[in-house]
Amino acid sequence: MSTPEQEAKPLENGEGEGGDPSGFLTDILGSDVTVKLNSGIVFTGTLQSVDGYMNIALEGAREYLDGYAVRQYGDSFIRGNNVSYISAGKSPNLKN
Amino acid sequence: MPSEPLLPLELIDKCVGSKIWVLMNGGKEFVGKLLGFDDYVNMVLTDVTEIDPIEGKTQLVKILLNGNNICMMIPGGDGEEVWEE
Amino acid sequence: MEEKDEGGHAEPLDLVRLCLDEVVVVRLRGNRELKGRLHAYDSHCNLVLGEVEETIYIVEEEEEDEQSHVRIVKKQSEMLFVRGDSVVLIAPAEGIQDLRS
Repeated sequence: MSTPEQEAKPLENGEGEGGDPSGFLTDILGSDVTVKLNSGIVFTGTLQSVDGYMNIALEGAREYLDGYAVRQYGDSFIRGNNVSYISAGKSPNLKN
Repeated sequence: MPSEPLLPLELIDKCVGSKIWVLMNGGKEFVGKLLGFDDYVNMVLTDVTEIDPIEGKTQLVKILLNGNNICMMIPGGDGEEVWEE
Repeated sequence: MEEKDEGGHAEPLDLVRLCLDEVVVVRLRGNRELKGRLHAYDSHCNLVLGEVEETIYIVEEEEEDEQSHVRIVKKQSEMLFVRGDSVVLIAPAEGIQDLRS
């Protein structure tokens, strides 16, 4: 698609370390994250892996509804199309 | 010399490192500093305020926002309401 | 891009692969949930489940007292196919704890 005179553009655009999406994901792999779904449901847990569809594997996932914990999972697979965002760390306004 | 048209992704690339305002399909909004993005316009944002029309505002340190539900993004915007009676 | 960290999975679907022939809980769009044995899956999260119990949570708004009650309907089936696009979450049934008090 690109012609020789077009400047070769990098696929990712960021400030290096943890700037672009894949760099950020590499940075937070193995750490605690908060995942918010489009439906408003929030999950916290240890990020095991993410793929190109934004499918997510969480270890020790905890599900929150309106800020309150409702369920604890051992492991869980979240289908990427439902994901609104992945946040580093545990969201402060979650109870227990 | 006529200036080249600015491609949408080039516009976003110009915003890297500065504050942006992202409007989602469901009416939700995010304001934060853009650290990077990919070809799907998944975006890494820092110092984020999530603005939900019902739940209100939530502060987030750093997020990867799924590009799937992004409706529009405004460079430099801060999401402040300007409507007056 | 994906790195295999110790004890982790190379990719999320590996977690689903580990659930094959195990009892799983599947959260679906529209406040539905399935519990059954995972016989097969693919990359779209299309699933085949056996000995399934489906739970449907129906929120009923009471007009007079503004309280909402959740009515629970359960259905059983021997075997069913789930289309992947309705899947929200898949987790092994073992290790799930209810935290509501």
